Amino acid sequence: MSNVVIRAENIAKAYQLGQIGSGSISRDFENWRARISGKGNPHVRINEAEDEPFNSTLFWALKDINFEIEQGETVGILGNNGAGKSTLLKIISRITAPTSGKISGRGRITSLLEIGTGFHPELTGRENVFLNGAMLGMRRSEVKKNFDKIVDFAEIEKHIQTPVKRYSSGMYMRLAFSVAAHLESEILIMDEVLAVGDKTFQQKCLDKMQQVSKEEGKTILMVSHNLNETERLFSKKIVLTNGRISNS
Amino acid sequence: MQNKEWTIKSDRNLFDLQFKEIVNYRHLLFQLINRDVLALYKQTILGPIWFFIQPILTTVVFTFVFGKLAGVSTDGLPQPLFYLAGIINWNYFAECLNKTSTVFKDNAHIFGKVYFPKLIVPISISISVLSRYAIQLLLFLACLFIYHYKGAQFHITPIFFAFPLMVIMMASLGLGLGIIISALTIKYKDLAFLVAFGLQLLMYTTTVIYPLSAAPENLKWLIQLNPMTSVIEIFRYGFLGKGDFTISSLAYSLITSALILFTGVIAFNRVERTFIDTI
Repeated sequence: MSNVVIRAENIAKAYQLGQIGSGSISRDFENWRARISGKGNPHVRINEAEDEPFNSTLFWALKDINFEIEQGETVGILGNNGAGKSTLLKIISRITAPTSGKISGRGRITSLLEIGTGFHPELTGRENVFLNGAMLGMRRSEVKKNFDKIVDFAEIEKHIQTPVKRYSSGMYMRLAFSVAAHLESEILIMDEVLAVGDKTFQQKCLDKMQQVSKEEGKTILMVSHNLNETERLFSKKIVLTNGRISNS
Repeated sequence: MQNKEWTIKSDRNLFDLQFKEIVNYRHLLFQLINRDVLALYKQTILGPIWFFIQPILTTVVFTFVFGKLAGVSTDGLPQPLFYLAGIINWNYFAECLNKTSTVFKDNAHIFGKVYFPKLIVPISISISVLSRYAIQLLLFLACLFIYHYKGAQFHITPIFFAFPLMVIMMASLGLGLGIIISALTIKYKDLAFLVAFGLQLLMYTTTVIYPLSAAPENLKWLIQLNPMTSVIEIFRYGFLGKGDFTISSLAYSLITSALILFTGVIAFNRVERTFIDTI
């Protein structure tokens, strides 16, 4: 068996353009009536095939995406704003389903698309570590085992019993990153979360990621804008332009 | 769990309910319940005592308005006990429905950033609301002892043992209807307006403020159509010895709540994969 941990085949994702409102309910209704009566869909353009889910109100955020990622690789996903980077990460993290295509893979995924998702402001740092860990799919015992390391890395020992609503944004992000980085998953997915935080901590995070990928063999997928800082980290790049892969 | 294989496809079977995933994420269920219960009392002085105040005040108002002013029958039971039995059960159902009906809207920021089986959230809500119900049940039992000591006329019947079944029925109804509404309001939010006052009106179609025996013969069927009616009646029959308990009404409520829960899970499951693009 090969070492491929993620294989994407013909991934495509369409979004509906325009507003959802009374206009879309009449369109929904006509589509539905057309389907029931077996007549053609009135909203498909004349030259397009009926069965293809292509219609004038759709926007294709991703199309024909094929790639393979092997274990232990650190993959940078690059591209301009609106190229489909975040959409691709959302599909791999199962936040939204692709319109067509298939991704298969092996191993648990931890995705960090935003700093501190699910942190509850009223709960203490400690309570939030357990809550956040569970959201990322970890057992209580697994979080407990790594708890000291998490707090240590985030440098917030003094504040761990304080509600996170009183944290500074730096403390907040350090804690959130630390939880995700110390979890025992095989694949780590990150959107541009390192943009926050000061230079020293950014460097610390990059070093940590390098360490987990080299020593623990974790696979990392990461969106990046700031090439200078992160370029040396990547062993592979996927460059997206207007929803398609333009090199790899 | 390690090195487990997975696939992401564009469509999923309607009846592929992902129960295995929910079991895998059971730790999250406990954490969410823990969060809801903890966060509720933070920075309050009285904490859970607040849950006593609402049913006590409602009971006082009901006793005054419906009992004393309007003179609605309570089947010969002490009025506060009669109303309290209705109120706490209705409250649990209404709270379950209310909170789970906005589950996608309230958690969109989480669902949009991290994956876990989303059904866990409404399930955790229906369980954490149960903690409030338990507190109110204690209040009811305390009143029961006080009235017993004062020599009021009521008695506990063996149907009281159906109590766990009743809680399951209420939870299924509240959760089931709630997630049906949550699934229906993703694209068109109109239904959400109905929930708040609809629940209030619906209360009058169950036997919270009057016994089924006091209802006009030709309208009885309408009141019995609401599955919450027989839940409340069974509760009253079990704890107070007065109420309209029949095997067929129990069976009706059981079947309806199971069907509603099942429909809810299917509907929820259908929309959860791509709702984030529409909401």
